[in-house]
Amino acid sequence: MNPIKTLTLIDDDNIFVFLTKKVVEQTNLVDLIKVFGNGLDAINFIKENKDNVDALPEIILLDLSMPIMNGWQFLEEFTKLNPLIGKKITIYICSSSISHDDITRAKSINEVSDYIIKPITKDKLIDLIKTL
Amino acid sequence: MEKITDYKYALDESSIVAITDQKGIINYVNDNFCNISKYTAEELIGQDHRIINSGYHSKAFIKELWTTIANGKVWKGELKNKAKDGTVYWVDTTIVPFLNENNKPYQYVAIRSDITDRKKGEEELKKILKEISDYKYALDESAIVAITDQKGIITHVNDNFCKISKYSTKELIGQDHRIINSGYHSKEFIKELWTTIAKGRVWKGELKNRAKDGSTYWVDTTIVPFLNHAGKPYQYVAIRSDITERKKGEEQIKKSNEKAIEHAHILELKNTQLVDFCNIVSHNLRAPLVNISMLVDYVEQSQDEDERNEVLGKIKPVVNHLMDVFNELVESIQVKQDTEMKSDHIILKDCLEKVLIGFETQIQEYDADIQIDLNQASTIYFPQKYMESILTNLISNALKYKSPDRKPIIKIATKKEANNAVILSVADNGLGIDLVLHKDQIFKIRKTFHRHPDAKGFGLFMTKTQVEAMNGKIWAESQPEQGSTFFVEFKPQNT
Repeated sequence: MNPIKTLTLIDDDNIFVFLTKKVVEQTNLVDLIKVFGNGLDAINFIKENKDNVDALPEIILLDLSMPIMNGWQFLEEFTKLNPLIGKKITIYICSSSISHDDITRAKSINEVSDYIIKPITKDKLIDLIKTL
Repeated sequence: MEKITDYKYALDESSIVAITDQKGIINYVNDNFCNISKYTAEELIGQDHRIINSGYHSKAFIKELWTTIANGKVWKGELKNKAKDGTVYWVDTTIVPFLNENNKPYQYVAIRSDITDRKKGEEELKKILKEISDYKYALDESAIVAITDQKGIITHVNDNFCKISKYSTKELIGQDHRIINSGYHSKEFIKELWTTIAKGRVWKGELKNRAKDGSTYWVDTTIVPFLNHAGKPYQYVAIRSDITERKKGEEQIKKSNEKAIEHAHILELKNTQLVDFCNIVSHNLRAPLVNISMLVDYVEQSQDEDERNEVLGKIKPVVNHLMDVFNELVESIQVKQDTEMKSDHIILKDCLEKVLIGFETQIQEYDADIQIDLNQASTIYFPQKYMESILTNLISNALKYKSPDRKPIIKIATKKEANNAVILSVADNGLGIDLVLHKDQIFKIRKTFHRHPDAKGFGLFMTKTQVEAMNGKIWAESQPEQGSTFFVEFKPQNT
């Protein structure tokens, strides 16, 4: 099984980032974990590297509630950018929100593979990476 | 002798002639008499003159006629007679008694001319006049009527007009019609009325007028111009009916509607607040709980003592954060329960000075220029506690998000709206917010838009909650790198 090169966390929650990093490292499935504290930093990075596919992540765990640019706004920008990217990036929304509105809205966006309600377990993470 | 025959001939040709004896028995009729009465001469001769009596005239009238001629005097008058076929005709009649040597009439010569057509016309006219006066009566009884000349000077008013306007006829006649003008209608409206009737067209509409005692009343009004032969109005007849009660009802309905809309609006707002509240609970409270649960899980399954301690150490700040969010939530719920909160007459200048003292250090440090213009509204009726909190939050933001490139200028101003609402604005020249990106977000809890260590996303949320709890509105205009202006509208100040 080929480990995944890059997993990106877009989340402003330091605890979540800290724990998720630890869990992902333990799985030995991922080479590199990249973290952005808000959507803007993440989208800027993707824009700059849209032709540099090696730098781009295979998988993104996206939080919804963030400062500067939230998850929804990130998805809007990403949807515009996606056709120009020479790589398939799988996005999972990973939010503590259990609001029904958020879940339905997420399901309506093509670029979103699934909506995961925090907390996320180690097994679930492994599952996500393996089914990629 | 020949001359008399000529006269007789001329008379027979021109008039209806009959001769009776002193008892009224016909002994001569001419052709005209036969034509109009439709009897032949044979049928008439020897008959009592009453054969053509129509029964129309009173006994007294007939008696007066006979008394006159029996006394040898000429009688003149108009008679209605009946022809053989039952139809009637009118004749202008002169009866000349022929007297004997004793000065007693021995025969009567009746000379008549046909006036049936004229009489018919007269009767028609009488009928029409009666009808007109009936109409006028009906109108005066049922409606409020006034007549003015072409300049609007009142020439006639009926009792109903006096009753509703509380003026006497004497006080009204000769006055300009504007005496009952309430001033309610716009100049354009009144102009349109006059233009219409001056052109000779009927105007219909609803007018609010003022009575002598200053009270007002509504009348459904029709103004009919009376035109002269040149087609120009020489007078206007205004026919009105009292619709004050209906108008009162309409105004009541309008008021209730407005109230209902206001209630609906408040409900909508409450509903939005409820949705916000649910979101806060489902996200802002849940997020730290999730963190704690994940941390605890991690500690439980970790084998490494150092790692366990490291992770355990992270629990405390999360609990503190949870506590903060929880306290904010409680604070915002308390605002929502304060809708019946007592308002105070706030002198804005004093309130602002008090708030600005709290920022003195920052203002000096940043060399900030605070410009205050409260000329349009210097007081606001609002809870003092909320006003201080609103001003504190808005000024704090203006200072916190200042531009690193320029000295802060903060303009605080008030504006009075037409409906008596007051708009307070706080404008800065700071970093600004990209409203295209953050339009729906700026007043939400825990939403921040700048990389500022003190940005917590609670100030504007609380400000909005406080403003809306008092039925006010808050909104913002902003340009990134140019500055932001926050507006707070305080509901109409009816003290």
